[in-house]
Amino acid sequence: MAINTRIILICSGKGGVGKTTLTANLGIALARQGVKTAVLDADFGLRNLDLLLGLENRIVYTAQEVLEESCRLDQALVKHKQEPNLSLLPAGNPRMLEWLKPDDMQRIVSMLSEQFDYVLIDCPAGVEDGFKNAVSASKEAIVVTNPEVSAVRDADRVIGLLNTHGVKPVQLVLNRVRPQMIASQEMLSIDDVTDILALPLLGLVLEDEQVIISTNRGEPLTLSGSNSPAARCYTNIARRMQGEEIPLIDPSKEGSGVGSKLRRLMQTKIF
Amino acid sequence: MQGMEVETRFITLPSRKKADWRGYLSTKLNEIRSGQIDINCQDWPFSCRDLKQLISIIDRAGLKISIIRSEIPETIVSAAALGHETFLILTKGHKESPNRALTDLRVNKDPNILFHEGTLRSGEHLEAEGDVLLLGDVNPGAKISAGGNVMIWGRLRGIAHAGKYGDQTAKITALELRPLQLRIANEVARGPEELPEPGLTEQAELVSGKIVIQPARSRLSSPKRPN
Ligand SMILES: Nc1ncnc2c1ncn2[C@@H]1O[C@H](COP(=O)(O)OP(=O)(O)O)[C@@H](O)[C@H]1O
Ligand SMILES: [Mg+2]
Repeated sequence: MAINTRIILICSGKGGVGKTTLTANLGIALARQGVKTAVLDADFGLRNLDLLLGLENRIVYTAQEVLEESCRLDQALVKHKQEPNLSLLPAGNPRMLEWLKPDDMQRIVSMLSEQFDYVLIDCPAGVEDGFKNAVSASKEAIVVTNPEVSAVRDADRVIGLLNTHGVKPVQLVLNRVRPQMIASQEMLSIDDVTDILALPLLGLVLEDEQVIISTNRGEPLTLSGSNSPAARCYTNIARRMQGEEIPLIDPSKEGSGVGSKLRRLMQTKIF
Repeated sequence: MQGMEVETRFITLPSRKKADWRGYLSTKLNEIRSGQIDINCQDWPFSCRDLKQLISIIDRAGLKISIIRSEIPETIVSAAALGHETFLILTKGHKESPNRALTDLRVNKDPNILFHEGTLRSGEHLEAEGDVLLLGDVNPGAKISAGGNVMIWGRLRGIAHAGKYGDQTAKITALELRPLQLRIANEVARGPEELPEPGLTEQAELVSGKIVIQPARSRLSSPKRPN
């Protein structure tokens, strides 16, 4: 049994900020680094981690059957074809929400931690029962937010709850960072966000249309070894989780397209 | 006088378990002719009134305070509220559990002061019957309320309500006052639009029925202090 299994909740409070995308990409990136990783879809109401990983059509059993003991854990786990170090434990029927208790979640996670080095839990939005069940089974957390006032407010609420549940450490991922909008002060800056949330910043993820394209294909960006901006961000985050020291990207140096590169060159000449 | 180095003298008050500070301070001051005082108040929980007394004793000796150090957050808040540079000495107790439960800790064995260490995050509400002293920020979406004064050694960016049972003399003090909303007794005010001057402790109180915010510094009535 792996005693040092890292059980990490990926949560946000607000929906649609990029939790599931992060879970899928980190799962793949960690697996590529050779660590045995399980991703657990705890968003029973709106399950879509399977979809993002391109594993939807290979699901036979789910967490529900495991809990009901009508199948074994390894029967329910879906191993990723290209990255066999990664397995998905799919969410059951949305009706699971009605009966699932923190105990059930803890049971599932402790079974997973016998076989894996990492268990990443894709948390539902909100701070109600689904969130509480997932928190109760987690040791650490990554809070995902966007540089938007409402997302930051919800993240702050979630961080307070994680603290009272004794989840530690709690780290921050700031997703959908748009350098141009920050530069023109149309968007909260990284400092604005960390100033309020006061969490260690595990990483930034740039806004990147490749994310959407890869989502639709069911192939997370990190799978293809793509060098797109978001892919690099996800890979860096996974490496930091593994203890590597990798400096944060500087969004002011990340422009897309020739135009911004040219502008930057011109700026450096002027100054 | 310009360019002359002012010598710093250090005074450490005796622990309150050992001796009273007044006698000690007076004897110490007799030995000092000039310079500025760096004073360590150790474990004395000083209210603004206690501190004013201490400051006036030092004033009468013709000396000025450069910094007030203390292990007790209440003293730090009082000192900051009076416009002094402060330094919180972290003792072991402070470090062990920065996120202890809301009502666990009370300083001074005084049930009228509720002490809480840690930032209040969105959705959290810290309530006190008497005064409340927070060592941490009040984030947007969080709320702090008290029957008496609200003192925040940190940034107020949420909602604060002092004198919630109608005490019109209650005040709200914070190292940085950028609230969404302030309430004192039954009065309500929206936070000011402009940012506060950095590094200036501010205080809100009722003046003829209206909530006004002023730098806590300007309330110090010592004529000897510059600016
Ligand atoms: N860095 C990014 N750049 C562009 N689009 C993104 C990025 N991260 C997430 N998205 C998009 O945002 C939407 C919501 O993401 P998702 O991971 O499903 O959020 P959540 O799980 O928090 O509800 C998806 O359409 C996804 O493709
Ligand atoms: Mg999701």
